[in-house]
Amino acid sequence: MIKHFFTNIYRNFIHNKVFTVINLTNLVIGFAVFILFSSLISYELSYDKFNTNYKNIYRVQTRQEDSYPTNFCTYSPPAYRYHLMADVPEVEEVLLMREVSGGAKGSGQYFTLPDGSQLYQLNGYWSENSIFDVFSIKLIEGNKSNALTEPNTIAISETLSKKLFPEGNALGKQVVVGKRFPVSVSAVYADFPQNSDLKATYLVSMPTYPVLSGEPTYSENWTSISFDNYVLLKNGADPKLVDSKIKDAFKDVKNFEKSFPYLHPLSKLHISPNSQSDMIIGLAILSLAAILVLILACVNYVNLSLANSTQRSTEIGIKKVIGSSKKLIATQFLAETVLHTLISTTLALFVAQASFPLLNRILNKNIDFTLWNNAPLLIFIFLASLLVGVLSGLYPSLVISAYNPVKVLKGKIFSNGGNSISIKKILVAAQFSISLFMLIVSFILFNHVNFILNKDLGFDAKNILYTEINPRDKMPFETVKTAILQHPEIADISFSSTIPFVGNIGGYVTWDGAGQDEKVMISRNYVNYDFIPTYNLKMAYGRNFSQEYPADNKGCIINETALKIFGWSDPIGKQIYLEGKPFPVIGVVKDFHPYSVHNPIPTYIMFLNSNVISGSTLLSVRFTGDEQKARALVARELGNVFPNYPFEFKDFSVAFYLDAAIPFWQSMKRMFMFFSVVTLVISTIGLFGLILFTVKRRTKEIGVRKVLGSSVGSIYWQLSTEVISMLGFAILVGCPAAIYIYKTMPGAYKEPLSIAAFFVSVALVAIIALLTISYHVLKIAVSNPVKALRYE
Amino acid sequence: MLHLSNIDKYYDSKFQRTFVLKAVNMEVKEGDFLSIMGPSGSGKSTLLNIIGLLDQPSAGEYSLYDKSVLDLKEKVKVDYHRNFMGFIFQAYHLIEDMTVYENIETPLIYKGVKSRDRQAMVADLLDRFNMVAKKDLFPQQLSGGQQQLVGIARAIVGKPKLLLADEPTGNLQSVQGEMIMETLKTLNQEGMTIIQVTHNEKFAEYGKRIIRLEDGIIRKDEKS
Ligand SMILES: Nc1ncnc2c1ncn2[C@@H]1O[C@H](COP(=O)(O)OP(=O)(O)OP(=O)(O)O)[C@@H](O)[C@H]1O
Ligand SMILES: [Mg+2]
Repeated sequence: MIKHFFTNIYRNFIHNKVFTVINLTNLVIGFAVFILFSSLISYELSYDKFNTNYKNIYRVQTRQEDSYPTNFCTYSPPAYRYHLMADVPEVEEVLLMREVSGGAKGSGQYFTLPDGSQLYQLNGYWSENSIFDVFSIKLIEGNKSNALTEPNTIAISETLSKKLFPEGNALGKQVVVGKRFPVSVSAVYADFPQNSDLKATYLVSMPTYPVLSGEPTYSENWTSISFDNYVLLKNGADPKLVDSKIKDAFKDVKNFEKSFPYLHPLSKLHISPNSQSDMIIGLAILSLAAILVLILACVNYVNLSLANSTQRSTEIGIKKVIGSSKKLIATQFLAETVLHTLISTTLALFVAQASFPLLNRILNKNIDFTLWNNAPLLIFIFLASLLVGVLSGLYPSLVISAYNPVKVLKGKIFSNGGNSISIKKILVAAQFSISLFMLIVSFILFNHVNFILNKDLGFDAKNILYTEINPRDKMPFETVKTAILQHPEIADISFSSTIPFVGNIGGYVTWDGAGQDEKVMISRNYVNYDFIPTYNLKMAYGRNFSQEYPADNKGCIINETALKIFGWSDPIGKQIYLEGKPFPVIGVVKDFHPYSVHNPIPTYIMFLNSNVISGSTLLSVRFTGDEQKARALVARELGNVFPNYPFEFKDFSVAFYLDAAIPFWQSMKRMFMFFSVVTLVISTIGLFGLILFTVKRRTKEIGVRKVLGSSVGSIYWQLSTEVISMLGFAILVGCPAAIYIYKTMPGAYKEPLSIAAFFVSVALVAIIALLTISYHVLKIAVSNPVKALRYE
Repeated sequence: MLHLSNIDKYYDSKFQRTFVLKAVNMEVKEGDFLSIMGPSGSGKSTLLNIIGLLDQPSAGEYSLYDKSVLDLKEKVKVDYHRNFMGFIFQAYHLIEDMTVYENIETPLIYKGVKSRDRQAMVADLLDRFNMVAKKDLFPQQLSGGQQQLVGIARAIVGKPKLLLADEPTGNLQSVQGEMIMETLKTLNQEGMTIIQVTHNEKFAEYGKRIIRLEDGIIRKDEKS
């Protein structure tokens, strides 16, 4: 019996090659998409689980109720470590860490390589030795009990160790950090796995922190929300209880404004770092889209199976007459479907594995996916495949097994199937609506990305090089300026605390004419005299800071957005108040984008700095001519002025692409393009099946002879009107949905909707639909009536 | 063995009832060879289908060995098809995707016959019909007469008591038709009850009895 089953299935496959190939392709696409996104989600959910204490690790984060909406900050002040958590009995271990050079993007630390050059290394941390108890870290050299207990010691990752000490045996050797701090290597640890939220490339011992940072009293600091506090709870401890204990203790010590500590479990660190559901929603939408694609493929499978069963109806009639039961026929069909889905799933695994680079590109990520060693995922995929097989085989198997042999053998079964609006048509119309929607949205996003990348930022972003430098000693800016501007290749140089797209200093101000208690959040920047000319900012009113007016150091320059908010008609001389101090406005700068073009332009105020470089500073130069030459030039001059402090010049595009909105939109664009191609292919297969069904039914009803007799043109016309009505439906559904997405799309600046996006999408879908019809009609036209008659 | 009494078959359309069979009474004894004749549309196939449990009469009684076989459960009906009757069709209705051998073997698989017994039974029939050399061919590769022989082999491989044949020679040239009729005759002589529908007077004579249908009514029922 089993052999009979399989020969049957095999023969069916051989007999209906084209059909089976189309149908399997359809399922392979559906499953490949499903597998791709299942692995993505499985990967995202696997984050941090390699830690043996996974379930008991929490990060103490800060809930800031003084901002609206409430801000959940992943950092917390260091005093928590010393005065809050250590006393809670349920806490087994506390761990204080801080990212080196603070949290600002693009910061990092410099290491001196064997050849004397500087290595810029991101993701370094100050850390306590308890990191080895809390997280599961494998030491390659050194000892977990004292790796980070002493000052001036550093634990480095294997990769970094290979860069710094290519000859090996790093333990005990010295490494120079930031050109001037020698520390000794106390341990080398295996790199953190890819799916770890914490990916420290090196760990400097916490006792080194007060020395190097110049902050000896950091353990009493309750306000610097820039540290990572982790706790490891004892087994069985109730995190809610611990949470409330910490809060209570906190209230007793310090009722600090409206910021509270709270426990955030490691299991949620990755998918919702800020206790926000953004990423979960994103993942949910992706899974939904992937499942939708799979469902569309299954719908096609059912439609195609039914269409094809008209051909197999005779066979089923015969089988019934010679003693096959309904159950047997249904079971066999079901088995065939399940076999098809399992084969498709297996093929899809390979397709998916081969498509991971594409997924990485779409997501702007670099995840190392492998399906073969992920047994739970494979089991899940095959269970899903089994379920899909049974579900999509059930309906056709019931329909097919219920064929009445007398009617089927007379070829009469489908004569009553001619109702005009069938479920099949609605399903195919729905498929087209979805692909049209996806296509239009892809075009909109395509335009949007171009718009973002090409938007006028309001300042001259070309020919800018910038660097961060952090000297301890004071250095008059004019010294640097003279040294650098002696080269004609350099047009301008300035320094400031932030530059466009890098850094942000917030604050609240009030202003002349503001209502009582009225204040506004601003972005401020401390600049020198040369900032505005370097970036080619344009003045709308008043003037730039000038050395000729000594009182300018008490003044400020606001942007047009600020002017609008303050509501002044004559801004010059009006005052704003920051931390109670008045600052008269000396000029208004035309609006430019200090941050992502995704966001509206903020209320922005510039203050004059002392023109003396000290501490963390951003230097910007505008060059003329060749960038490489300019870069070498400024690096050499700056190296002469600051021999003890490392720096690295970057061009402005580096800063620009740090804007998270750009990869986000690029990713969205690629995602929609991907799904629009997939849904378009799937709905084409769906249409193919529907037309196949119609054509088969007609040939069976009136015979090929007569189909050929009535002109091919009229059939073409008939099918086309059918498809055009479906297309009309798709336009009615797809276009408004796409417009809705455009309207709700986040972002302060959007390009107006282009009609072209709609036309091109509709035309594309229409052409594909007409090609599908043409294929079928041509097939009838060239078919041999004699051959076809044998089946009549 | 088979008894029909007052069988009606009609179709209701919007305004009228069309009778295909009307008050058909018929008795068939074991070992009988019955030929049904009549003009096109007279209801021959319908009658045969009712006898073969493929169709339901609209009214009347039908019993096999004195047991009513109306409104049978699917399972019982399948049982009758597996063990009691075999069918032969004008259009042969072989399964295109199966070889000659597999076509003949399939009913035995449904019957649950063991693989070794199946081999013996199929081989037996192939031998009897001189088709051994053709056993691995597909139906399209055979002549019409050969296809019908396979059809007969498939119908009788399960050793049914009753063989129902709807114009078995309708698509064949007379020589091949005669060969088929000879085969049926031999089968009848071996004890199989046969009911055939035919348009051919000469072939009808092979039967022991001829029934003539006209507009769904039995006009004549005579020994030949
Ligand atoms: N589902 C149905 N609805 C209405 N009428 C039907 C249906 N099935 C069969 N008939 C009618 O019943 C009548 C008898 O059909 P049947 O196939 O039994 O004729 P027949 O004697 O076998 O003819 P032929 O010699 O052409 O095979 C025909 O007039 C046919 O149109
Ligand atoms: Mg007939």
